[in-house]
Amino acid sequence: MTMPKRKLDPLPASAFQILLALAGEDLHGYGIMRQVSEQTDGRMRLGPGTLYSSIQTLLEAKLIEELEEREDESAMGARRRYYRLTSAGRKLARSEAERLADLLRVARAKKILRGGYV
Amino acid sequence: MSEKIYSLLLRLYPSKFRARYGNEALQLFRDRVRDEKGSFPGIKLWRDLLVDFAISLPGEYMHSRGGLAEGTALYTSNGVPAFHVLDDKRLPTESLVSGTLLTLLALSTFWILLGYGGRAASIVHFRPSSEGRGVGAPGPGAQRIGNEIVPAAPSIEENKRMYPVDDAERRRVVRSAASLVRQYYAEREKAEKTADSLLEHEKNGDDDVLADGHAFAALLTGQMREVSYDRHLTLEYSEEELPPQPAAPDTEGLTRHETSLTNQSCTFERVEILSGNIGYFKLNTFPSASLCGKAAESAMDSLNSARAMVFDLRENHGGDPAMVMLLAAYLFDHPEYMYNPRENTTKQSWTHSPVRGNKLADKPVFILTSASTASAAEHFSYDLKMLKRATIVGERTTGAAHSGVWHRIDDHFGMGVPETKAINPFSMVDWAEVGVEPDAQVKSGEALKAALRMARTTQQEK
Repeated sequence: MTMPKRKLDPLPASAFQILLALAGEDLHGYGIMRQVSEQTDGRMRLGPGTLYSSIQTLLEAKLIEELEEREDESAMGARRRYYRLTSAGRKLARSEAERLADLLRVARAKKILRGGYV
Repeated sequence: MSEKIYSLLLRLYPSKFRARYGNEALQLFRDRVRDEKGSFPGIKLWRDLLVDFAISLPGEYMHSRGGLAEGTALYTSNGVPAFHVLDDKRLPTESLVSGTLLTLLALSTFWILLGYGGRAASIVHFRPSSEGRGVGAPGPGAQRIGNEIVPAAPSIEENKRMYPVDDAERRRVVRSAASLVRQYYAEREKAEKTADSLLEHEKNGDDDVLADGHAFAALLTGQMREVSYDRHLTLEYSEEELPPQPAAPDTEGLTRHETSLTNQSCTFERVEILSGNIGYFKLNTFPSASLCGKAAESAMDSLNSARAMVFDLRENHGGDPAMVMLLAAYLFDHPEYMYNPRENTTKQSWTHSPVRGNKLADKPVFILTSASTASAAEHFSYDLKMLKRATIVGERTTGAAHSGVWHRIDDHFGMGVPETKAINPFSMVDWAEVGVEPDAQVKSGEALKAALRMARTTQQEK
C-alpha cells in the first residue's frame, strides 16, 4: 500500500504563502506565521496545526528544507528550527505565481478587474 | 493555564506529528501569547486555534494512516505465515465530516467552559518556604513549628512567562520521581505501579510535548495520580532555585517561635461568651500543644457553660495536629477517631474524650471558615464535619493537606511523597486541593452573623 500523499496539486493557498514567505529569508515557524500574516495584510493567520502540517508536506516534497536549530536573538535565546526554500520550491512558487498572473490577465480581459500590468 | 490546555489539545494530533512538531507548535503558541496585545487578544488567539484544529486535525489523521503501512508476517501455529493487510481505501467522506463536526463541537464546548468555568476552578500549589523548612508534615527527624503559612505558587495564568525544560532535565526528573516514589511512598504496591507508569509514559514519548516547567510538573503529577488516586502525591516546579533539602529547625528558631507564641497569647484572638450564651473562640493558629496546652484548656473551661460553640477559623492557617486533637476532645463524650492524612493511624488518632468536667460534648458546634482557612484548621473542620459534629459556615477552605514529605529533585523540581498511611473512614478524598466545603456557604465576612443566627435558632428549637 502506498502512503496517502498530501496534495500539492493544486498548491493550497497556505503552502504557497509559506513558499513566498521563505523566498526572502530563512525563517522559523513563528517567523513564517508573521511573514504570511504581513504579506496578506493580516488576512491569513496560520495556526500551529495548519502551519506545521503544511511545512511537513513541503518538506516531504523537498520544496523546503530544514536547517540546524539555532538561537533566535529576538526570543530570549530560545533555540529554534529554521526552514529554507529549496530551488525546487522556488521553481514551484514561480510557476504558481505565473499561473495566478495568467488568471489575472484573463480577469482583466473580461473586465472583472481593472488596473495595470502586474 | 491556557498553555496547559493547548498542550492537552495538541495530544489530539497523531503521535508522529506531535513527536516532530509538538514542541514547535507549543513554542509558536507561547510566542503568540507573548506578542499579541490589544483588546481581547486571548479570544482572537483561541478562535484562530480552534479553527486551526478543525481544519488541520482531519488532514493529519488521514495522512498518518500511512504509518501503519508496514504489514507484518506472523507465523501461526501450523507454520503458515498469515499476512495482515491494511485497507487501502480512503476514509469515507461521511467519517471526515462527522469527525470534523465532533471536533468542532468538543472544542467549542471546551472554549465555553474555559470562559465560564475557568474562573471557578483553582489549583492550589504548595512549595517549600524560603526559610528552608519543608512543607506540610515534617518528615522523620524534623519538627513541626506551629503554624506555617505556605504561599501559593503563582498560577501559570497570572504569570505568562514560560520556564523551559529541556529533554535531559525532563528525563532526569521523571527518573528521580520514579525512584523517590519507589523509595518513600507509603504503600508498596501502589509505589511500584506509580513509578512504572511514570517510566512507561516517558518511554512512550507522552512527556515530550511539554517544554514548560509548570506544565511538565502538572503532567507528571497527573500521571502519578492516575495510578495512585492519591492527591497527596505531587510534583512541583519552582521558578526560584529551591533551597537545599530542609534540615531540622534550629533550636534558636524554636525559641524565637516559643517567645512569639507567648507574646501573642497563643494566637487565641478572642475567647468570650456572646449574647444568647454562645461561646466564641477565635484562634488564628493551632499552636503547639506542648506550649499552649494549658492556655487552650483554660480557654475551653471559660466557655464550658455555653449553649453552643463557635470556632472562628477564618484567619487560621494551620498548626499543630496535637492541638486539633486537644480541642476536639471537648466536643465528644467518648474517644473519637480523627482522620489526619499526615500521620499514621495510631492511638493518638483518637480524642481523649470525655474531658473531666466538660459540658460541651453535646452542644451544637459551628466552625467559621474562609478561603484562607488552611492545613490544621482544615483537619479540624473536615473531621468534625464528616463526623456530623459541627456545621461549617463560610467559604470553601484552601485545600492544603501537606501530607507529603518534601523531596528536592533538583534546583527547580521537587515532590511531596506521603510516607504515612492514615485510614480515612469518611471518604476516598479528603480536603487536599479541594478544601472543605461549608454546610452553609456565605461570604467569610458574614459567616459569624450567619452562624450566630443558626445557633440561636437551634437553641430556640430545643
